Amino acid sequence: MVAAIRPALRQDVRPSGVYTRDDLHGDTVLDADVVIVGSGAGGATLAAELAEGGLDVVVLEEGRYYSTRDFTADASAMVRQLYRDGGATMAIGDPPVLYQEGRAVGGSTVVNGGMSWRTPEKILDRWWREAGLDQIRAKEMEPWFERVERRIHVRGQDPDSIGVDNKLLKKGADAKGWKVIPNLRNQVHCAGSNNCAFGCPTGAKQSALVSYIPRALHFGARLYSDVRVSRILRSGKRATGVVGHVVGADGKTTHRITVRAKLSVSACGAIHTPALLTRSGFASPSSQLGRNLSLHPNTKLVAIFDEHVRGWEGVHQAYQVREFQDEGFLFAAVNIPPGILAMTTSHYGSELGELMADYDKMVVAGMLVEDTQYGRVRTINGRPQAFYQLSDFDADKLKRGCALLSELLFAAGAKRILLPFEGAGELRSADDVRKIFDNPIPKRSMEVVTVHMMGTAAMGADRSRAVTDGYGLVHDADGLMVCDASLFPTPIGVNPMETIQALATRAAAHLLDDPRRFP
Amino acid sequence: MSYQHAGGTRRALEGIAGVVCPPEARARGLIADVVDHVALTMSVLPPLFRNGLVMGLRTYDLLAIARYGKPAHRLVPADAEAYFLWWKHGVTPLQRQLAIGVKQLCTLAYYELPAVQEQIGYRPTQWIEQVKRRRLEVYADDIQRHQQSLIAPDPLPGVRRRQLKERA
Repeated sequence: MVAAIRPALRQDVRPSGVYTRDDLHGDTVLDADVVIVGSGAGGATLAAELAEGGLDVVVLEEGRYYSTRDFTADASAMVRQLYRDGGATMAIGDPPVLYQEGRAVGGSTVVNGGMSWRTPEKILDRWWREAGLDQIRAKEMEPWFERVERRIHVRGQDPDSIGVDNKLLKKGADAKGWKVIPNLRNQVHCAGSNNCAFGCPTGAKQSALVSYIPRALHFGARLYSDVRVSRILRSGKRATGVVGHVVGADGKTTHRITVRAKLSVSACGAIHTPALLTRSGFASPSSQLGRNLSLHPNTKLVAIFDEHVRGWEGVHQAYQVREFQDEGFLFAAVNIPPGILAMTTSHYGSELGELMADYDKMVVAGMLVEDTQYGRVRTINGRPQAFYQLSDFDADKLKRGCALLSELLFAAGAKRILLPFEGAGELRSADDVRKIFDNPIPKRSMEVVTVHMMGTAAMGADRSRAVTDGYGLVHDADGLMVCDASLFPTPIGVNPMETIQALATRAAAHLLDDPRRFP
Repeated sequence: MSYQHAGGTRRALEGIAGVVCPPEARARGLIADVVDHVALTMSVLPPLFRNGLVMGLRTYDLLAIARYGKPAHRLVPADAEAYFLWWKHGVTPLQRQLAIGVKQLCTLAYYELPAVQEQIGYRPTQWIEQVKRRRLEVYADDIQRHQQSLIAPDPLPGVRRRQLKERA
């Protein structure tokens, strides 16, 4: 066990302890107590806690190391650099669901909106009841949530950072008498640059890149970026480390890197974790590996106002409308840069030009649906492919959500609203809202996206029904752990980052509490 | 990552960009910039996806010969739009997805061009610089306090117990 103390991370310099492809000039073999694949919410948190606990930790990350000063408002350049496959990743189904994953040191926390919510109590109760998980109920999770919130500085926004788009969302909710709450976000005096999804250019958002990663490095962890892990090494049922390759600037793999470790951790997200385990030959006896995919289908409305909104000036998602949380959906205002907005509308040619001329008068409002259907990640030729079929029930929820959100936006003063249904036309007044229900809307015409993939290596007490135990240790394997949103037995209905981090903290405590648990 | 359009792909994209981007794109001579930007996006797509897209674009361009007697990139604007819509509402999902996907790439590219962003009043960089400076001026102490807390010892309970035991 080694825990060399390193200097703190400066936000504009590659810190000591981070190694990139420029540092690896040949095949490399490393030894460690723990190797973690992925440096996002789960991997970075676990790395920091275990390193502070005195373990020698190596983190491998497929993406590049970027610092705060690399993040700009050049949205498409940021997408190319920070998102897997330039964001063009899709779950096959009707409709296809476009999903996005961060691929950089810090993982998806670098590109998420910075929403920090505890797992709802009803969800934890359900996990306790249905998955047979111990020490998972709200009271038992409280210290882990508190610890995470302290580390990533979870707070409400400073009022002066809230922009017009969010004020209009709140105005509409207030006018309807609906419950609207300030969002809790992991930020230190967020300045309201509304660039969260493209890397925080001020360093205010406490992504893993600027919180748990520096902490892990400070306590002696080593981080290798630009390394794509191909498989987990095994000796019988025991995982003995991982092997991967350095990814060059042209995207091709070069030198081999092997890390021999007592504990191997897959923390590469609900799409890639099942693929990594599958291609390493760890088939779960439950047959649940890769199944149980839920993804909080999201959609968006574009509302055009008479006044100037300038949605890029002010914080991302200052509020959430929680009036319909029990029905399984949330609303929030999200700014989308013009290129990405133009890309996602069905307008083209002169019609697109006319629409985009009003870009600075737009409020983009999004909706998150707690889904009831489960999809699957299959591993085809070693690569994951997600399949997900939106259920009729959830499609109806999307329609109802769009109707309610339209009412809210008209109550806030919107003059017209574009719906996320191909060919559905525009709404011009609150009276138009019922049009949504007048004609059938085929599922294939719905624009559905997500950034919340969950559940593909679910935890549970019963090894015949779950992939891991309640702490992420893989059933029927030794020295192998999962530490990301794959673990969720069900969707959680809120942003998942804090749940992942609390579970990672709890898993670290479980390992460190009793040395006999460490292989 | 590096990817460059071959001549045929580039011409097909120029034809489609002329249809799906606002008319100002052609009037202001921005079509070549749009097509260059599409190449940047295509450079990060998975190779299989990118190769499919390239094949689809060539098919799109050449199939127009059967309907109009010339490739799509040489069609007059009205025919070019009619041909694009024929693909967009095509019988096969692949046809529809290609038309929609290429429309997305071109319109993304157009509205990512600095000149176009300036025209619609989108100036986020100045805003970011302004609020970044203000944050550092107003909240410097809080920011520094948090950064120090990030590296302050705070071991988990089990580690604390072990440390106490070792000391005893």
